[in-house]
Amino acid sequence: MSRLPTGGLIDRTKPLAFSFDGKRYTGFAGDTLASALLANDIRLVARSFKYHRPRGILTAGSEEPNALVTIGRGAHAEPNTRATTLPLFDGLEASSQNRWPSLDHDLLSINGILSPLFVAGFYYKTFMWPAALWEKLYEPLIRRAAGLGALSMEPDPAEYDADHGFCDLLVVGAGPAGLAAALAAGRAGQRVLLVDEDVRPGGRLLAERHEIDGNSALDWVDATIAELASLPNVRILSRTILFGAYDGGTYGAVENGRRLWKIVARRAILATGAIERPLVFAGNDIPGVMTASAVQAYATRWGVAPGKRIAIFTTSDSGLKVAADLAAIGIEPVTVIDARDGMLVTRAIGGKALKAIELSDGRRIAVDTLAMAGGWNPSVGLGCNLGARPNWSEAIGAYLLDSPPGGMIMAGAAAGAFGLGAAIASGIEAAGGGMPVPATSEDPSGSRPLWHVPHSRGKAFVDYQHDVTDKDVALAAREGFTSVEHMKRYTTLGMATDQGKTGQVNGNALLAIATGKTMSEAGTILSRPPYLPVSIGVLAGHHRGEHFKPVRHTSGHAWALENGATFVDTGQWKRAQWFARPGERDWLETVSREVTATRTGVGICDVSTLGKIDVHGPDASTLLDRLYVNIFSTLPVGRARYGLMLREDGFVMDDGTTTRFAEDRFYVTTTTVNAARIMQHIDFARQVLWPELDVQATSVTEQWATYAIAGPRSRALLAKLLPDLDLSNEALPYMGAMEFHWQGVTARIFRLSFSGEMAFELAVPAHHGDRLIRALFEAGRVLGVAPYGTEALGVMRIEKGHPAGNELNGQTTATDLGMGRMLSRKKDFIGRVMAARPALVNPARPTLVGIHPVDPARRLRAGGHLLAKGAAPVAANDQGHVTSVCYSPTLGHWIGLALLANGPARHGERIIVHDPIRDGDTEVEVVNPVFVDPEGVRVRG
Amino acid sequence: MAEPFTITEHTNLALATIMARKGVDPAAIEAALADTQLIPTGPGTWLAVSYCDPPPYPGEGRGPVPTPDLDPGLRRDTLKDLASVSDQSGGYIVYRFSGPAARTLLQRGAFIDLHPSVFGPGSSAVTVIAHIGVILWQADDDTSFDVALFRSFAGSFRHWVEASANAHDRHPDESRDPWDPQV
Repeated sequence: MSRLPTGGLIDRTKPLAFSFDGKRYTGFAGDTLASALLANDIRLVARSFKYHRPRGILTAGSEEPNALVTIGRGAHAEPNTRATTLPLFDGLEASSQNRWPSLDHDLLSINGILSPLFVAGFYYKTFMWPAALWEKLYEPLIRRAAGLGALSMEPDPAEYDADHGFCDLLVVGAGPAGLAAALAAGRAGQRVLLVDEDVRPGGRLLAERHEIDGNSALDWVDATIAELASLPNVRILSRTILFGAYDGGTYGAVENGRRLWKIVARRAILATGAIERPLVFAGNDIPGVMTASAVQAYATRWGVAPGKRIAIFTTSDSGLKVAADLAAIGIEPVTVIDARDGMLVTRAIGGKALKAIELSDGRRIAVDTLAMAGGWNPSVGLGCNLGARPNWSEAIGAYLLDSPPGGMIMAGAAAGAFGLGAAIASGIEAAGGGMPVPATSEDPSGSRPLWHVPHSRGKAFVDYQHDVTDKDVALAAREGFTSVEHMKRYTTLGMATDQGKTGQVNGNALLAIATGKTMSEAGTILSRPPYLPVSIGVLAGHHRGEHFKPVRHTSGHAWALENGATFVDTGQWKRAQWFARPGERDWLETVSREVTATRTGVGICDVSTLGKIDVHGPDASTLLDRLYVNIFSTLPVGRARYGLMLREDGFVMDDGTTTRFAEDRFYVTTTTVNAARIMQHIDFARQVLWPELDVQATSVTEQWATYAIAGPRSRALLAKLLPDLDLSNEALPYMGAMEFHWQGVTARIFRLSFSGEMAFELAVPAHHGDRLIRALFEAGRVLGVAPYGTEALGVMRIEKGHPAGNELNGQTTATDLGMGRMLSRKKDFIGRVMAARPALVNPARPTLVGIHPVDPARRLRAGGHLLAKGAAPVAANDQGHVTSVCYSPTLGHWIGLALLANGPARHGERIIVHDPIRDGDTEVEVVNPVFVDPEGVRVRG
Repeated sequence: MAEPFTITEHTNLALATIMARKGVDPAAIEAALADTQLIPTGPGTWLAVSYCDPPPYPGEGRGPVPTPDLDPGLRRDTLKDLASVSDQSGGYIVYRFSGPAARTLLQRGAFIDLHPSVFGPGSSAVTVIAHIGVILWQADDDTSFDVALFRSFAGSFRHWVEASANAHDRHPDESRDPWDPQV
């Protein structure tokens, strides 16, 4: 055990059991998985991405490139979890990744020996030929060998949700600068949201030994948190990753890995701290080589001695501070090598654990831990999300964001204020001041960058997670990839899940050296969201599986469900497709039975999903005349009329019936699929095209539950339900409509027919729809009433030759659909001019016809193309296509609707339906598209 | 959620979309409907909300069955030449969210600022919760909100409520089904 007897922010009275690769260990409350592993002397925790090199814990924060593990098992497994930020919990099961058969004996570590093959760009070079093998062999092999954790491929049992935050000031990071900023703004009465990725606010003050106002800095942290918690205008979100900055002061964050936050902030202070740079020398990835700040954090915050013999290799004052902190805790470093004095570590020696270091003076020192203090990179990533570019600061040897986007202020170490006092002062200033800056202990922050240790033989890693070495960067430069963006893509430096948090700047520097540029000239990359990986699950929230998008149920849904309906998705709606009865062999038998029951008796269909729009106002009829190709101003009150709308380009947009209930009250219906589009179209027309009209429109699709009652016995059924209502042809003729009361509820009845039978549509406010459908079936029981679904509806409309979705496909004109005569010559309407274009009035255009197979036993298929008999099946001979087909139980054979060149002139002709991928060719006869009751006798009852 | 909340469906509301006729001063409409709650939903457009207990207006309400001899055009007569009226009593379902956690829950769904300093009594908004359009307004007290949505979306909306209320930080005391109306 490397746990110190005292000290640290852990609770030694609360042991927590956990396992790693199946072995059991114990940590304490307050530990991360990483600190608990180190406390148990586990230093080998992972294998690297490409070379499968043994890797240990490099850092103590979210920038960790190495220590990624899988948490949990099976469906609960969470791969690629950073051990350095995962709070330990009782029963935690962690396992290492990217190794086989085990972490200790990873057979794929042979990749390290073969490494000359695996230099930057290796997969472009090594696996070039033959190309056919790329997809089948190379890529799968590479993916298996070079990987992270695996997905379980099972449904994710985790629950995700969302929340929204609004504030005057968003403070990102609860280190000294962020805490001070939040306190200053909170005291000033601003609405403050303080977001911090750690489970415990305090940032580096938790991991370093400092004094503020003469007391331990931890006391200041506690007092600040307590005051913030007491302010009702301040909210703290801990363990929350702010992953992106977006337009309009919008930010994305994930709390606890489970809750997605969208945050809107008037201003934001990025007090995101800084990340310590590793140093680039041979063997800098051997387990036991860590950043100095990590060594300091494990010792100070978690009471763990990361090693028994610790050396410090530093280029900065902060490395000396680490030495002092360790000494104060009682783990005196073996040696401190300060590069600024001319001494360097030229090589780290060891395999699965660090054994010794070699210095530039030739000495070899046995150590088990090497702390690297390579200087600090301010975490400016979020500030770059909107395109602001970091600039190199020679003064601090790092990139700074001099011009963050509007509303965003950098503070603390993220702004280059590395010293504690400077960081706190910068936080207060960023928040608008108004609070004295507390006195702090001295915190010198001098440093001199050391980008590369010369004469260092062996692999020196720049990007640990993607196994990019100093030599890879040099190779990229030699091969012409001399810009940072090209070097990044060629070597994949910075493209792993850690997005180069520890390695990017070192990589830029090595490229600058290789190309003879300054850091300023070399430049750096822009960071895009997400700052840290975000699981797809948290973005989806509860919108997955059947809840992927909202569904819409009609008020007759429950009744349909009780009566065995099979539902079909129509946009967001669930519509009853058919109502199978016991003993029926297939859907066709069911649908045929429903059609026959309706045509010979009475059937009921829920048509509530049709779009419905109230168009009211003194100029309502004027507007409708301009929207429809035919005239509505002449429509009498109490009557309905079928109408056709064109788009501006002259093609058919939608159709439906419109009823006039008063001089200034029209009730427009649309197809189900076009409901929203027609509402938009009407609003566009009345608001933009003709704002001078006094006309109002609103969607009432949801207000009315509407049922079609069709068939020769429909009137008899309604007579039972509505004994007091006169439904005779005289009182309610075909295309008539009435408003009345049913059981005290406003109701409407329309004499409309889509089926071609005598039919009515009965509508009540939707909250009475369930009651009405039950009453209808109760009334119809003795008449043998049958429910029918959308399939039977479709069969009957094909039998009647009514165009529907397949014909209203956006490519057909009114004439194509046999409705050219509806185009009024007495008025203007949307689409009139463009509908007269020569190509749209060409009689050779495919036009609606009916077809039936010459051999009545043959089945028809929609989609087949039409050819003259004897014509070769080539595109040049194409004369149209079959749009809709069905088996007509009324006629006893298959029928179809088709769009055929010169169609109306060709009734009686035999042609070929060419369907090379299904049934081959079928000979059909062209007929009138109205197959059943062409004279329209039945609808008039 | 650490604090309790309840959700109940309003069953005694008559609703209508009111749209001003051209050039009509909204104040004239508000004056004509002084006894009706008007939720603004757009320029010259309101959702009118009436509690129909006792009997609702013109045969278009719910709950107690209105007498059929009431003139269905009554409300229209009141607003004749002022506004167009479309009954929406069945079009919308209206849920009442009450309790200390009601605001918290709704904030999880709505991407608008519901802080009491911004959204208080009398405030209303047309917005989206879980991809479902809603009209949201605060009732007179600090902890009650009404949410109107198109009726067909009720099932998906309830799923959002359950998913959000049962989120991972759910307090152990709160195992009670949130859909149980508190009497």
